[in-house]
Amino acid sequence: MAEVRLVDIEKKYGNFLAVPQQSLTIEDGEFLVLLGPSGCGKTTTMRMIAGLEDITAGDIMIKGERVNDKPPKDRDIAMVFQNYGLYPHMTVRQNIEYPLKLRGVAKADRRKRAEETAAKVELDALLERRPSELSGGQRQRVALARAIVRTPSIFLMDEPLSNLDAKLRVTMRAELKHLHHELGVTTVYVTHDQMEAMTLANRVAVMREGRIVQLDTPKKIYAEPADLFVAGFIGSPSMNLIDGTVSGGVFRAEGVDVPIDMPDREGVVLGIRPEELEIAPGGAAFTGKLYALELTGDSTLVTLRAGKTSVCARGHADFEADINTDCHLAPKDGARFHLFDRASGERLI
Amino acid sequence: MRKTLSYLGERALLVLVSVIVLFPIVWMFLTAFKQSRDAYSVSLNFKPTLQNFVTVFSDPWNLGSMVLNSVIVATVTVAIAVPCATLAAYSFSRFRVKARKFLFFLILSTQFIPAVVIVLPFFLMFRQLDMLDTRLALIIVNLAIVTPFVIWMIKGFIDAIPTDSEEAAMIDGASRLRVIKDIVLPVAAPGIMTSSIFCFILTWNEFLFALILSRRDAVTLPVGLVSFRTEQGDLWELMSAAGVMITVPIFIMALFIQKHFTRGMTAGAVK
Amino acid sequence: MQDRLLPYWLLIPAFVIVLATTIYPLAYSFFTSFRAWDLTQSRRPEGFVGLENYVYAASEEQFLNSLWVTFIFVITSVFLTVVLAMALALLLRRKGPMHTFTRIVLILPFAMSPALIGVSYRFMFNPEFGVLAKGLGAVFPALEGVPWLADPQLAMGILVLTDVWHWTPYMTFMCLGGLASIPRETEEAARIDGASNLRIVFGIILPQMKGVIAVMAVLKTIFALKMFDQVVTLTGGGPGTSTETLAYFIFNVGFRWFDMGYASALAWILTAIMMVISIWYVRMLLSEKKMATA
Repeated sequence: MAEVRLVDIEKKYGNFLAVPQQSLTIEDGEFLVLLGPSGCGKTTTMRMIAGLEDITAGDIMIKGERVNDKPPKDRDIAMVFQNYGLYPHMTVRQNIEYPLKLRGVAKADRRKRAEETAAKVELDALLERRPSELSGGQRQRVALARAIVRTPSIFLMDEPLSNLDAKLRVTMRAELKHLHHELGVTTVYVTHDQMEAMTLANRVAVMREGRIVQLDTPKKIYAEPADLFVAGFIGSPSMNLIDGTVSGGVFRAEGVDVPIDMPDREGVVLGIRPEELEIAPGGAAFTGKLYALELTGDSTLVTLRAGKTSVCARGHADFEADINTDCHLAPKDGARFHLFDRASGERLI
Repeated sequence: MRKTLSYLGERALLVLVSVIVLFPIVWMFLTAFKQSRDAYSVSLNFKPTLQNFVTVFSDPWNLGSMVLNSVIVATVTVAIAVPCATLAAYSFSRFRVKARKFLFFLILSTQFIPAVVIVLPFFLMFRQLDMLDTRLALIIVNLAIVTPFVIWMIKGFIDAIPTDSEEAAMIDGASRLRVIKDIVLPVAAPGIMTSSIFCFILTWNEFLFALILSRRDAVTLPVGLVSFRTEQGDLWELMSAAGVMITVPIFIMALFIQKHFTRGMTAGAVK
Repeated sequence: MQDRLLPYWLLIPAFVIVLATTIYPLAYSFFTSFRAWDLTQSRRPEGFVGLENYVYAASEEQFLNSLWVTFIFVITSVFLTVVLAMALALLLRRKGPMHTFTRIVLILPFAMSPALIGVSYRFMFNPEFGVLAKGLGAVFPALEGVPWLADPQLAMGILVLTDVWHWTPYMTFMCLGGLASIPRETEEAARIDGASNLRIVFGIILPQMKGVIAVMAVLKTIFALKMFDQVVTLTGGGPGTSTETLAYFIFNVGFRWFDMGYASALAWILTAIMMVISIWYVRMLLSEKKMATA
């Protein structure tokens, strides 16, 4: 049972509160992603689990055992670093063997396991090279191989894909997912890329200013963001968020008229995903001038503006119209409207 | 046209600079191979001889024992200062120890204490302990100058190494000391090597301590130079030969670490 | 728990060395500076004389002379070194075979023993057979037969020359380091805006080098204040006392006249001057760092 529990942990640097008191349980075999913008405390949280950072208060339990005072080496974890953290003076083989060497595994056995692991991540041909002779993707694989070679009970991954180019990132993402499926090891993964979070995670913890604002499955977070911050952070292109008021059962903003079942209220933000809007002939919920058309290949992003309001929809790839002409958007069937309080960001519906 | 002119001008200036820098060195080398009557003329028309080197290594000059003194003093100083400094530099670079700023400040400032201040009490102490004119005495005082300098320099090199690999090693199961042995030392080796050579050069060229603390047995090369000033006047050709002996090993070392040299020189100072 | 103490364990060996070799002698000479101690008379320090050694220094002509000599030396050598180093660095900035060659050549003076530099300049400026004395005499007849090292001003000039020759290369490398850290874009933008070379140097490059130049100047000052080796091997403090720097004067008091109490007091005066400058220097370094990380 490789379960990780953070109990009332807190981290301060001098007077600066990096991670306020909170708790989090990562279940056995789970792939948990810590997601948030840079500086939100996600890496700090992971480094506290690793033991690279002391915790100011609280307890960290791994497999039911309190590890606060244990050095990283005694926590039975493996970690993949953003810059890979390879040993520049060792060959690929030595890099992969090093964790085994530290644990006193016999030489022959070490060799065998390193080769097996290298084969798993397709590094067998590069075993005698140095990290400086490898491409970014290959270095990434070495880091991965070094992490899995000794089958730890927990994997920690700190933005492992952020230094790769876009195409490689997608390939490696799939490999990571497959690897997790195959090994079933509890994994904590830090990223600022919501796409990675959505595709990889069993559960996502969205963090902001050191605090976990929502912890749920990717599906749930996408469908029901807990607040304005999560709503804007998840999804690409991001959710349309429109300032307005509700009166007489209708949400109103410039160019917007949407019936909403809710008592009158000022300072409301209406949210709707671009995927859930379509182009309509006229007299629809959203009316304005066409502002921009962006073809993405499989679809066209249609942006219309009316005064301060700006609404984006994912339309058909072959949709064409002239800029600055009138344009109308309507919610698709079953589209979901989200309502948030402007001031607190809290979800209303 | 203007561009090529300015380019030519730049090259001409560089040639001039090289000449100014090289001339005194070249002249010393030439003189070292002149017979004594040629040494006192500026003519380049002379028959080269190795006689001066034979002379300085024989009685009464015995440059050989000075070479030995210089080698021993410089080597032992490096062998003590560099390991201690490496550990301290690592600690300064990686840990937020209490009073770290104060301690580092202390180290930095001792580097600027004038050597005369240090040598005075040591002279008295060594006199008391009957240690004047020993290599050990020279090694001890040289440590005073060299250690803070090396700490600072190696810290510059270690600061430049990303901590990722070290953290990876700790997670892979290494203790701090193991991390230092397996990761930090190999990766910082070029920097440590450069610092060692710097430290060697400093000690090798050190003059004030050796002048005061040695008389006969422990005299090092730079002080040995002064002994060529005799009642019959300065023996330039012998001095030059001795100068070549001082300079050649250092030049070889300096050129050997040429690439790191500039970085090393400035690592302590600007960083 | 052992891991938490490790940072301190690592510091201990170096600190033992530093404390034993600098702090201890510093403290020792501090106490000696308040005593009378003529080494030719007594093996142990004699009576406590309070501030007498310091008071005596304030009115002693030779000490004041050495202070003045040091001042002149520091000002000229620091100024020349910094200006030449900056100019040389600008010259060496580009790439080319001659540039590379010059860079390698520049390593040599700094690796050379200062005592030896003094000796070889003494040789080259010997009025009878010195190559520079003869050469300059041949090119400029007015300089024929000038007694270089026997003239107070000229001797000081040559002392400064040896120091500038020794230090300019080091400082040039510091400048090159500073120049390399200036983003290319600012210069390129200025060039596109139509600025002349001179304007770029004075308007764009030098202002960005302010920090490096200040660091260089202070560092060079600290080293110049210690000037000793070439004084011994080049001029012997002469002619008369015209090149007797503070360090050389202290050496004389301590090791020719064996007046330990007075020498200690003088050493402490020099230390105090250096300390003030180095504290200023370290402060500057720290704020530089802050600027760099900001």
